[in-house]
Amino acid sequence: MAKVSISNLNKKYPNGFHAVKDVTLDISDKEFMILVGPSGCGKTTTLRMIAGLEDITSGEMRIGDMLVNEVSPKDRNIAMVFQNYALYPHMSVYDNMAFGLKLKKTPKAEIDERINKAARILDIESLLKRKPKQLSGGQRQRVALGRAIVRKPEVFLMDEPLSNLDAKLRVQMRAELIKLHNDLQTTFIYVTHDQTEAMTMGTRICVMNSGVVQQVADPRTIYNKPANLFVAGFIGAPQMNFFPGKVIEGSMVEVESQTFKLNDELKEAVKAKSKANAEVTVGIRPEDIRLGNESEGILAKVEVTELLGSDLNVYFKIGQRNYILKTEASRGIKIGDDIYPVFNSDKIHLFDTETESSLLY
Amino acid sequence: MGRKKIVKGLLTLVTIVLFLLTIFPFFVVLINSAKASLEIITDPIAFPAKWSQLFTNIKTIWTNPSVKYASSVYYSAIITAFSLILIAVTSAMAAWVLVRRKSRSSTIIFLIFISGLIIPFQVVMFPLVSLFRNIYEVTGIRMLRTVHGMIFAYIGFGAPLAVFMFHGFIKSIPFELEEAALIDGCSKPQIFFKIILPILKPIFVTISILNAIWIWNDFLLPSLILGVGQEVQTIPLAIRAFAGSFVKQWDLIMTAVLMAAFPIIIGFIIGQKHIIKGMVSGSIK
Repeated sequence: MAKVSISNLNKKYPNGFHAVKDVTLDISDKEFMILVGPSGCGKTTTLRMIAGLEDITSGEMRIGDMLVNEVSPKDRNIAMVFQNYALYPHMSVYDNMAFGLKLKKTPKAEIDERINKAARILDIESLLKRKPKQLSGGQRQRVALGRAIVRKPEVFLMDEPLSNLDAKLRVQMRAELIKLHNDLQTTFIYVTHDQTEAMTMGTRICVMNSGVVQQVADPRTIYNKPANLFVAGFIGAPQMNFFPGKVIEGSMVEVESQTFKLNDELKEAVKAKSKANAEVTVGIRPEDIRLGNESEGILAKVEVTELLGSDLNVYFKIGQRNYILKTEASRGIKIGDDIYPVFNSDKIHLFDTETESSLLY
Repeated sequence: MGRKKIVKGLLTLVTIVLFLLTIFPFFVVLINSAKASLEIITDPIAFPAKWSQLFTNIKTIWTNPSVKYASSVYYSAIITAFSLILIAVTSAMAAWVLVRRKSRSSTIIFLIFISGLIIPFQVVMFPLVSLFRNIYEVTGIRMLRTVHGMIFAYIGFGAPLAVFMFHGFIKSIPFELEEAALIDGCSKPQIFFKIILPILKPIFVTISILNAIWIWNDFLLPSLILGVGQEVQTIPLAIRAFAGSFVKQWDLIMTAVLMAAFPIIIGFIIGQKHIIKGMVSGSIK
C-alpha cells in the first residue's frame, strides 16, 4: 500500500501551454482522492503524470517513499482505468486481464487464481471467454476494473471511468466503486468533471481550475466552506447564488438594501481579515433560500422552474439580478407566480471581491 | 410488375454480364490448357477433345529442363512470401510511427510515401537497374539477378500503398490501448507486435492479398532485375520461354498460366473473408 506525494508539480508543453501549475498534493494510503474540475483544468494531466504517461516538467512525485519522476509506468506499481476502457479488442476478457501478469511471467496457476477472484468480485465470471466487442458498456467497465485489480497495484488511477455509461448504470457503478475501494483497501485516485461523483465517492476532493489546485478537503468541507468563488460555484447544483454586498460594522452584510446578520464564524473572519466595512461578494446556496410570506421576504417573480422529482428549482429575479432557489416539488410553484424568498443568513458565504477567496480562509 | 422488380431484374442482368466478362479469360485458359497445340489453333473456344491432355501438358511443363518450372515456382514463392511479409511488417511499423509521432517531419515523410503512389513504375525502372548496378560497384552487394534484389525492389514499390492503408487504419486505434499496454509492462516492440499488429490483421491480410496478386503475376520488374533465361527466374519469366520469336506453344502457355494462377486463387479463397473485412473496415461505425 502507498501514499502519493506530489510537490510543486508543473507540466509545460513544448507549445508553451502550462497545463499544471505548481501542484502540491499529499494523498494518504488507502485514500479515495478525487481530482475534479472543468475540462482543461489539468486534472487528467496530473493523473497521467502520476501514471508516468506524461513527462514531468518540474517538481517531485513520490509513490510510497520512491521518487518516481523518471520511473517507467510499469515499474510504478499502479493500475489505470481509462475513460474508454482501453481493452485489447483482439483478446478475450480473460486474456485482457491476464496480459500484464503474463508479461511479468507470473505462474499460470496464480494468474488463474487472481483472475477468478477479481471476476467473482466484479461478477464477470461468465464473461471471461468473450471478446470486448461482445460486452455492454457496463461489462467493459467491469473488465477494465478487473484488469486493474489483478495487478494488485499500490495505487489505482481512474480517468473518468463512468463518463461513457448511461445515467442509471453510472449511479450503480458509483456505489460499486465505493464498495470496491472498501474491499481492496488501496489508494484510489479518481479524475472526474462530475461533481456528484466527486461528492459521493471521495474521502477527499481536490478541486482544480486552470492547472491550479483550488481546494483540497473532504466533501462536506468543500460544500459547506468553499475556499473561493470558483469552488463555491463549481460544487453544488444548481450553483451558488452570488451577488455584491457590503459588510456593515463587522456584524452585518447589506445586499440590495436588505441587511443580514453574520454568524459568529463570519464575524470573526471579517474581523481577522479587517473587512469590517468592506465590499464583498456574498454567496448563498439555492437550498438556503426558502419561500417565505409577504412580511418576511422581498417580492420576486418566478421566471423558470425545473422539476427534479422531489425537488423544484425556481429561477427568479430581484431587481436586475437572477437567483435560484431549491424547494420541495409539492409547493407547486409555476412560472409567473409571485414569491417571497427569504435568505438564511446563517448559511451566507462571504468572498473577497479582489482575491475571490473566502473570508473563512 | 413493380418498378422495384424491374430495377432488381436489370441489376441481376448487369451482374451476370459482368460475371461472364470476368470469368471468360479463366474459361479460355481452362479449356485451352487441356488441348494439344494444333487443337487450340483450330478452335480456341471449343471444349477440349479429351481433358486428360491437361495432365500431359502439366507433365511436359514440369519436366522441361530449359523452362525449369519447379525452380521457378520455388523462386516465385520465396520472393512473394518474403516480399509480402516484409512489405506488411515494415510498412505497418513505419505507419505506426508516422501516426503516433505528430511532427512536421512525420507529415513530410508520409507525403513522400504517398508520392510513391503516383509515380509510374516505368519512370523509375531503368534508373532502378542503374542504381542496383551502382550498389554492387560501391558495396559489393549483388542486387541484380538475385532473390534479395527482387525482394528489396518489391518492398520499395509495395510500401507506399501499404503505408497509406496502415496509416489510415492506425489513426482509428485509440492511443489509450498503447498506454494501457505500457502500464501492463510492454516495451515498444511488444506494444507493436502484441497489440498493434493483431489489431491490424484485417488490413494486413488485405495488403498481403493485393501485393501477392501483383508480385506473383509480375513480369516487367523480374525481367529487368532477374533477366530472362537466367538461373533465378519467376513463373511469368518461365512461361515466356514457351513463347519464342517464331513459335508460340499456346497449349503449354495456357497450362502454365493455369498452374501459376492456382496458388493465388486458393490464397484468395482462404483470405477473402479478411480482404472484405479489411476493405470495409472504417466504413461503418
